[in-house]
Amino acid sequence: MVSITIRNLTKRFGDMVALKQLNLEIRKGELFFLLGPSGCGKTTLLRTIAGFYQPDEGDLFFDSDDVTRRPPHRRNTAMVFQSYALWPHMNVFQNVSFGLQQKRLPAGVIESRVNKALRTVQMDAYASRKINQLSGGQQQRVALARALVVEPACLLLDEPLSNLDAQLRLEMRSEIRRICKEAGLTTIYVTHDQKEALSVADRMAILENGDFAQIGTPQELYRDPISRSVATFLGESNFLAGRIIEPAKRLGYWAVETNAGTFEGRITDANWKPQYNDRVSLAIRPECFHMVAEKPYASFVQGKIIRSAYLGELVHYWLDVDGLSAPVQISCLNPRQIEPAGDKVYFAETRSEDVIILNN
Amino acid sequence: MNKVRYDGAEVILVLAMAFFGAFFIFPVLRTVGEAFYVDGVFTFRYVMDVLNDATYVEGLGNAFQLGIWSTVVAVLIALPLAILADRFEFPAKRLLTTLLLVPLVLPPFVGAIGIKQVLGQSGALNSLLSAVGLADMNHPIDWLGQWRFGGMVLMTAFHLYPIIYLNVSAALANLDPALEEAAENLGCPPGKGFFFITLPMALPGLFAGCTVAFIWGFTELGVPLVFDFTRITSVQIFDGIKDLGKSPFPYALVAVVLTLTATLFFFSKRLVGGRDLSSSGRASVGRRDARPLRGVPMRACVAFFIFIIVFALLPHAGVTLVAFSGDWYLSILPSSLTLQHFQEALGHPITLPSIANSLRYASLAMILNVVLGVAIAYVIVRTKARGREWLDVLSMLPLAVPGLVLAFGYLAITREGELFRWLVDLPPFIPKDSPILLLVIAYAVRRLPYIVRAAAAGFQQTSASLEEAAANLGAGPITTFVRITGPLIAANLIAGAILAFAFSMLEVSDSLILAQEQRFFPVTKAIYILFGSLGNGPFLAAALGVWAMVFLAVSIIGAGYVMGKKMGALFRV
Repeated sequence: MVSITIRNLTKRFGDMVALKQLNLEIRKGELFFLLGPSGCGKTTLLRTIAGFYQPDEGDLFFDSDDVTRRPPHRRNTAMVFQSYALWPHMNVFQNVSFGLQQKRLPAGVIESRVNKALRTVQMDAYASRKINQLSGGQQQRVALARALVVEPACLLLDEPLSNLDAQLRLEMRSEIRRICKEAGLTTIYVTHDQKEALSVADRMAILENGDFAQIGTPQELYRDPISRSVATFLGESNFLAGRIIEPAKRLGYWAVETNAGTFEGRITDANWKPQYNDRVSLAIRPECFHMVAEKPYASFVQGKIIRSAYLGELVHYWLDVDGLSAPVQISCLNPRQIEPAGDKVYFAETRSEDVIILNN
Repeated sequence: MNKVRYDGAEVILVLAMAFFGAFFIFPVLRTVGEAFYVDGVFTFRYVMDVLNDATYVEGLGNAFQLGIWSTVVAVLIALPLAILADRFEFPAKRLLTTLLLVPLVLPPFVGAIGIKQVLGQSGALNSLLSAVGLADMNHPIDWLGQWRFGGMVLMTAFHLYPIIYLNVSAALANLDPALEEAAENLGCPPGKGFFFITLPMALPGLFAGCTVAFIWGFTELGVPLVFDFTRITSVQIFDGIKDLGKSPFPYALVAVVLTLTATLFFFSKRLVGGRDLSSSGRASVGRRDARPLRGVPMRACVAFFIFIIVFALLPHAGVTLVAFSGDWYLSILPSSLTLQHFQEALGHPITLPSIANSLRYASLAMILNVVLGVAIAYVIVRTKARGREWLDVLSMLPLAVPGLVLAFGYLAITREGELFRWLVDLPPFIPKDSPILLLVIAYAVRRLPYIVRAAAAGFQQTSASLEEAAANLGAGPITTFVRITGPLIAANLIAGAILAFAFSMLEVSDSLILAQEQRFFPVTKAIYILFGSLGNGPFLAAALGVWAMVFLAVSIIGAGYVMGKKMGALFRV
């Protein structure tokens, strides 16, 4: 188990800068997620940590060991590839035992450790199977066992669940977290599935165009996004253009004037000090609005329902609000009845903790 | 994936089967039949006699050795080349890897003319050795006599190594690079990972190439003929033509050869077919670039490529020099150079007509090949027509049947009073004894496996859903093929067609046996006849050979550029 330190890491492919001066510290035993849209550089970063790419600038440390120039086979990372990369000319047992053979362990030790690893992923009954006789989920578990069995310094997972069906993905999520935590492994997990990241990660980073947009716990990133792109990428948000009027009574809170009325909200970016009259955006999540019967004093929208969408656990409404160019989306958890679209005017209130003021 | 059932599939299947039945199975059975039905009586006597005859057994032994050793040498040449080209980046890589393929289409039979000039008793090598005082021209070394078998092995191996090179390159290129990265990631050093992970998975490709190369070497006719080596099965069969229709022995010999090659073919298809690992698909992750070589390793690598290319092309360089030489006797290089032979070749009654004939035969064969190949590949890959597995096997079988066997079969089925007599005598379309139809069919059947493989690879790489999308938008099967599938598999088809054309132009066995009248001679037969004639014949043969080589070298380089690494898909069993 190691901590991983990344300092000023830059990787270019020709003219394209894939990773821009990245700095990151991943703690011992942490389950760290790299999240981002495709092409953002998350797989590049993972492959650089594994040693398949050489960074153009910057350093990479495992604990205090500088591994920047160390070849992949001497890094003791274990990677689960997106395609699994199971060797088709070997059976399950041979695949899993390969890494231990490289460490020249005695045959008896190898056998007991492989069997233990296969039991952990519930594949012990399939040890002599050929790879092409396994289903996608079984292959995924063999790939995981092959990586776990070597007791790596850190575990690298490259979208390991992307080829599985929804049900299996749910099961494997918690399974991977359980296994990593039991073994105390430092783990880096690449995915573009935000539900996967939010539900499993200790901490996560959102990558955008080769740069970290934000790093933090799942709750920090969801509750306190520091930029519009983070707020957009994780979950859904309404964005309202406005101007700073004055500091609110609570420290760190400000009153903001918008075309829909005045809102009180908070600042999430610690490096930013707003000035009077600054143009800002408010980010308010749909579930932070609550339908109320009577018109509130502040921090609310009013409008007619133009559209709704029923998703089972919740229902989305789109309110046409006077003065706003885009409709405001609000959601209600498992409502008894669905309000119809029409001319009736509704009021939706929000709390100031749920209103994020973003520096455009 | 659901395959759409097409109505035309069964029709194509039946037509293709009928074609194979008439022009492949039937002639082969006729040939083999001659060995078993003698004077209306079924007998194993002649086959047993062949197996008990010391001369024939020796011939089979020699053929077997030629096949094995030329395959072994070809692997030793091709494997390192393929690995170097896959792993490393070095100057002029594209040019060198393309030039590597050139020997494939240059028939060793033509090259052998050059080899004799270089290695003959009064040839260039002896002259060179005596010039530096290592040999005495009064007692010249008989290289071809003493080293005849080794020479034949080298000639054949340097002709066949591109087949193995192409197979291994394709297998390496198709592997998911993550498979080797996974090994490195688990602590396996790069070199070791290559041997334990990548190489085993490239083995089916290597083995497929070896099978084709072995059958080729085992039944090679041109090289032993030029080396005057008669104690080998192919030449024994060829000489059997002289008493055709009288002795059943050549036919019995053919039956034995066919049994051996077909057994090997099926054995290898079984072995390889079950574990085609290279098609497991590539991951989306970018491959690490081929590592650039610098300094001494780079020079050694480039030198190795150049050495192989130069050595493989040495006989052909010899032919070229012969074609341009005024006089080349007892000297290292020709004492004078001239264009005279090319001028004389233009006026000679055999040369120009033979070029025209070959172009005609080869183009027609190519068209027939493309039409048949695409249709068959389509049925095999895209439809569920019953019996398509059989068609698949059938379309690969010509690889297992030596050209000689088929040529004999064609002779047998077109004799006076036979079922297919009209193929060589159909006035007013086919003048009497014109082999045009027969040669076109023979060329087409022999090269069909390559075209079918090329087209099938194209169909496999092109997702059926692309066609379904077109059908879904209202395009009929023909529109879909012309607008969608055709353009997508065009590269494969063009390369396959070029190769089929090139191989047909330089086909030896069928050409030598089926063209009996001078005015119908194809190029190879003209070269063979000229080479054996007196006077300036050999020089004219060389001039004609040079013309053919230039033509074919251009073809194969073109095909190589169109197909790239995918060309290996053509030379599989």
